[in-house]
Amino acid sequence: MKKVFFVFLVIVNLGFSQDKFIVSNLKDITLDIGQVFKPESRVINSDGSEVECSRIIYYNKKGVFSSAKSITFDREKGTLKANDPGNHDVVAVCINTNGKRLTKTFNINVNYPKIKKVKLLNGQRNIYVGNYVKLIYEITDELDNKRIVDYWNYDKALRYFSNVEVDLKSSNDRVKIDLSNNILAVEEGNSTITANFDGISEKIDIKIQKNPISKLNLISDSSNVKTGDVVNFKVKAIDKKGNEIKNMPVEYSFTGKSFDKSSSASGLILEDGRFVGDVAGKYIISAKIGNITSSKVVNVFPRNVNREINNIGNGLVNDKHTSDFWVFEGVDGRDYAVTGTWGADGKAYFWDVTNPSKIKKIDSVQVDARTVNDVKVSQDGKICVISREGASNRKNGIIMIDVTNPKDVKIISEYTKNLTGGVHNVFIDNNHVYALSNGEKYYIINIDDTSNPKQVGMFEVGKEGQSIHDVWIENGIAYSSNWRDGVYLVDVGNGIAGGSPSNPVPFGDYSYDSGAHHATFPYKSKSTGKFYTVLGDEIFPKGVNPNGTNETAGFLHFVDFTDTKNPVEVAKYELPTHGSHNFWIEDDILYVAMYTGGLRVVDLSGDLLGDLYKQGREIGYILTGNPNGYIPNDTMVWGAQLYKGHIFYSDFNSGLGAAKVSANKPDNSKANQYIE
Amino acid sequence: MNDSYKYLISRFHKNFKILKVLSFFLVHSIANAQNYYLYVASESDDTVSLLRFDGNKIIEEKRIDVGFYPTEIEGPHGITIDPNGKFWYLTLAHGNPYGKIIKYSTKDNIAIDQTTLGLFPASMQVSKITGFIYCVNFNLHGDMKPSSVSVIDAETMTEITKIKTGIMPHGSRISNDGLKQYSVAMMSGELFEIDALNLSVSRKLDLDNHLSIDQSKMNMNDHKMKHSSVKPTWVIPHPKKSLAYVAGNGSNEIIEINLNKWEITKRIKIEKKPYNVEISPNGNIMVATLKGNGKTAIWDLKTGDLIKLIKNSTSVPHGIAISSDSKYAFVSVEGKGGEPGIVDVIDLNKLLLIDKVEVGKQAGGIAFWKKEI
Repeated sequence: MKKVFFVFLVIVNLGFSQDKFIVSNLKDITLDIGQVFKPESRVINSDGSEVECSRIIYYNKKGVFSSAKSITFDREKGTLKANDPGNHDVVAVCINTNGKRLTKTFNINVNYPKIKKVKLLNGQRNIYVGNYVKLIYEITDELDNKRIVDYWNYDKALRYFSNVEVDLKSSNDRVKIDLSNNILAVEEGNSTITANFDGISEKIDIKIQKNPISKLNLISDSSNVKTGDVVNFKVKAIDKKGNEIKNMPVEYSFTGKSFDKSSSASGLILEDGRFVGDVAGKYIISAKIGNITSSKVVNVFPRNVNREINNIGNGLVNDKHTSDFWVFEGVDGRDYAVTGTWGADGKAYFWDVTNPSKIKKIDSVQVDARTVNDVKVSQDGKICVISREGASNRKNGIIMIDVTNPKDVKIISEYTKNLTGGVHNVFIDNNHVYALSNGEKYYIINIDDTSNPKQVGMFEVGKEGQSIHDVWIENGIAYSSNWRDGVYLVDVGNGIAGGSPSNPVPFGDYSYDSGAHHATFPYKSKSTGKFYTVLGDEIFPKGVNPNGTNETAGFLHFVDFTDTKNPVEVAKYELPTHGSHNFWIEDDILYVAMYTGGLRVVDLSGDLLGDLYKQGREIGYILTGNPNGYIPNDTMVWGAQLYKGHIFYSDFNSGLGAAKVSANKPDNSKANQYIE
Repeated sequence: MNDSYKYLISRFHKNFKILKVLSFFLVHSIANAQNYYLYVASESDDTVSLLRFDGNKIIEEKRIDVGFYPTEIEGPHGITIDPNGKFWYLTLAHGNPYGKIIKYSTKDNIAIDQTTLGLFPASMQVSKITGFIYCVNFNLHGDMKPSSVSVIDAETMTEITKIKTGIMPHGSRISNDGLKQYSVAMMSGELFEIDALNLSVSRKLDLDNHLSIDQSKMNMNDHKMKHSSVKPTWVIPHPKKSLAYVAGNGSNEIIEINLNKWEITKRIKIEKKPYNVEISPNGNIMVATLKGNGKTAIWDLKTGDLIKLIKNSTSVPHGIAISSDSKYAFVSVEGKGGEPGIVDVIDLNKLLLIDKVEVGKQAGGIAFWKKEI
């Protein structure tokens, strides 16, 4: 009986407890860009009765960044404004004086501005029978925003084409338009193409010419190459009379067959005729002008650069993490190194590395810091500068050390002005220290008088949200790595742009989509004379893994900076499942710390194009984990430096090490008896 | 009355006595079995420690790795608990370049959501009325220009707005009614009051003592570059009175402000560099860390007297969390270099440092979570 009564009470109470709702004029609303709207909302019970709500606060739910700015609010006037087209969430929060909150999210549609004008552009000088017609669309909307949509640059075009209705028609059958709006010229004569974008039409007349070419000669500078070698193709177009016709639009393509039956042929061909094969095999390169084609076979053989790499010696640091390092020749002619420490007690260690197989710790300094992230030594081997993070007085800055006698180093001075936010990286060049400040900019400090350093210059990108990770100086040019803003080339004494340490002048920059640009190494190819900046990512895709090895990602971007005004990204070195950190290039060989992927040595000889790892350019690698390391056997190699024929490296978990590339090829006999 | 009845009566009295004794021990043991839980952030280790104190001993229950870059120190600085006890929030001071706030579950200490804030986001608190987090963007090492207080909806972890305040804002604390947020601007020497509902600055107070400033040394033309001699680093509104107390880190004083009159009513001199200041929930005790000499100061707010100066276990005391029953103060102490951070436990009745526990390096932000029987 009691149970029945209890159930009755529950049912009765449930019947009287009412759900509350926010009702608002934001529901199903559509606004135009720039439109200001006054939201009006109230809270009601399920029976429609009003519920008290002392305040309703609106905000735009977050997008990619923290504060979504697509919808902004004037809180004094109680209005909102639509700023960006698309669908946006606006949250209404009802707040009661007793702290009870009620929220509801309203999806607001903001119209894309209507298209006002479409202009069709023909990027080709001549269209021949058999050619695709590559139209470019210049679209102007009612807010006078102009967009260039290149249908053949599909990645960007897709964004636009997915949001508007596009319809292409031709005036006759001289062209064929497929379902993806590709236009193929099939017959000589004139045709009019009409493009209709959301009801706005525009026409363009095209003239399809009879192909004057009767023969193509496909010419290459080589036909037997190794993987990674770049082959340059050119075409000689001949008409019926045997005359050469220049500047004809050529389309290149290739097919291939790998020598290894379990592997796919792979390569890259560019519009200018440059071809590179990634995998050994037989490749057929084709050139096409209209309906005339020509082909040529290229044999791509294995690059065969693998060599044994041997670990020679170690300077073990296993009571704390190791950060960056620098190897230098001391004033006494012997060879030394300095290593920093990370998340520890502010120590930096000095080593005698004259005999790399017997690396010996010879001195140390301890400063008020938790991390000495970076260490550098002047060209004359006399002054070392180390960075500080986590100082107890929060002043951080840099420390100047006399390393004239590396067995008995002496702290000369500290410098903290404008560097209190922690110095993550430093460089020392011609009596100037370049020190990062607060991850935003770098200061240039004159150290003619090391006991009294003086700030003489500063460089910052000057953009909202600017962020910097590293700076490297070579030949009077500072290369700063600025995450999403990419690399900046700044004249600090080279003369190319009239700059000096006290007047740093930027003259070139390059950024890429991932925004993970963390380190730069400038590099002039010995074999080609081309000048590159190699830009390294730093990415931890899954953040910190407290229970084991951290997952790393990212790669090296090779940017041809030969023309400083028109840098072109041409190649990459990407090691599957492992990410890049610091690196060094000398004599067309790359020495790169791939964090969990170990210390890698890569052949950069010749022209560079495409995916260098796939091309078999890797010479060899070692894993630097140590059974006695801070985390035993956990490879986390931080940086690499070639010095007097040895590859020195630092590992986060094991300290300093030295390795050497052997003349021997790796012994694969135990791996696979059938490998030659 | 027959014998059996008498026997029963006597048994009852005997059993009642036993019951009384048992009850006493039961109540006593329950009282002594209280556990206090708190979180502390270690800025130079990128860790947060969950601590448990049983009335005698404090232990580290769990150390939680925080941040996104294993090879960069991201600097967990501010930490606070949601009034419902289900979540804790942590600011990471260093980013590219902006810092972050991360929401964690107290159930399993797993990160749930995050959003990006301004430069060096630091201390924060959640309003029990709005459910919003009010977090100062300290911009500790940036240019001398006004920064802001970010307002974040803890439910969606969206930054609703940034409210411009002074130069180097720090010490975000919410009034007991949840309707006002207070912070101080360290370099411009101002106290800001933000209306938690209007999301705007409602009042601003200059904290410098202009009578004591040598005006001949001031550059009166340089209006934009006011450098406060007070250098306020923290503010705490009194839980029961219309008063607030500010730590004058540069002027070695605690400043009392009458919130009704919006004026300074007292300047309490204290030893070197007070940094954080907190008031016990019962409103009786005020505790301040003295960063300059490694001590913690305790005042009786009924009398206004400084009643104890306690030497901390190591150098650079930082934050304070006081238990909900006002019995204990937990003080984070940064230490230097490779020293571990430490949390000192101070008995506020006995005025004694009764225990300590080592945590990650540079222990800073500290927040009391719950008392559990």
